[in-house]
Amino acid sequence: MNKLFLLACAALIVGCDTPAAYKDPNGRDLVVSLDKVNIQDFATAGSLMLQSMISSPAFSKGAPVLQLGMITNDTANNFDTSLLLSKLTVPLVNSGRVTLLESDAIASAARAASGSSANVPKAEYVLKGKILEDRANAGSIRQNSFIFQLTLVEVKRGVAVWTEEKVVTKQGSKNSIGF
Amino acid sequence: MKKIIPLLALGFLTGCTSIIQTGDRIERGLTPPDAVNYATTRPEGGFTPQINDNRFGNKIELIAARKSKTDGGYARVQWDLRNGSYIGQTANISFEWLGSDGSVTESQPNWITTPLEPGALTTVTATALKSTSVECRLRILSR
Repeated sequence: MNKLFLLACAALIVGCDTPAAYKDPNGRDLVVSLDKVNIQDFATAGSLMLQSMISSPAFSKGAPVLQLGMITNDTANNFDTSLLLSKLTVPLVNSGRVTLLESDAIASAARAASGSSANVPKAEYVLKGKILEDRANAGSIRQNSFIFQLTLVEVKRGVAVWTEEKVVTKQGSKNSIGF
Repeated sequence: MKKIIPLLALGFLTGCTSIIQTGDRIERGLTPPDAVNYATTRPEGGFTPQINDNRFGNKIELIAARKSKTDGGYARVQWDLRNGSYIGQTANISFEWLGSDGSVTESQPNWITTPLEPGALTTVTATALKSTSVECRLRILSR
């Protein structure tokens, strides 16, 4: 009987191992980490930001010329902020709702080489932002909030025409899978 | 042997952060995963629900869908949802936009998680990026 019980326990422990498998990056079975921004957090914040931004007056007519500004990562995690920005720029550019001004060295050199040609678009708006983190705990329960802040600045007047803040809060004692 | 099983059970319980979480895990283990439910706006107004999970109706209520246009002429739909149960629920939402011929014109595939207190009402706004998008299909599952 005792042997049988031990075998059952062993089977349970062995059964806990999960082999690697491909998952839908937009699915419900993704790892939820307490201490870091997960890929689904960027997707959530990005799509909420996108929905808010396209309702701003800057997007009411035509395709404004947008330049990406600095997105400051003020969290303890190391990640590329384009994980957030791509959630906005990909649908905007592909639907023709913005003209995205490339700001890398090649694009800058190309613009400089073209002189003061009227064909070269000038940035009408600059998108800038910050990602912050707030941690708290009560006993073994940890809570981590990631705060995504974005601002759209009209270059001509130097004023913010849209600004938004979205917070993703996760709470628990350990990382988990899915919702 | 008789002592080991209650101890093991106790260990499982104390290992969890709360009884509610344990109950939730047991429920997840015993019941099939929540199916995705849909609601699609109609050209004449209102919406058509497609409920694939019978448990959904006991959790989240789809109250209304209001269609309007943005200043730029793009379609916008506001969905009103309510937690009709006596315990907190989480509505996980994503949506697609359909053209006048029913084809999918754009989508927001990732789930947006919205925790809802008992009785709480929330409004989800979906704004189309393309002028060809006319009807909104909400995808929702509760947890």
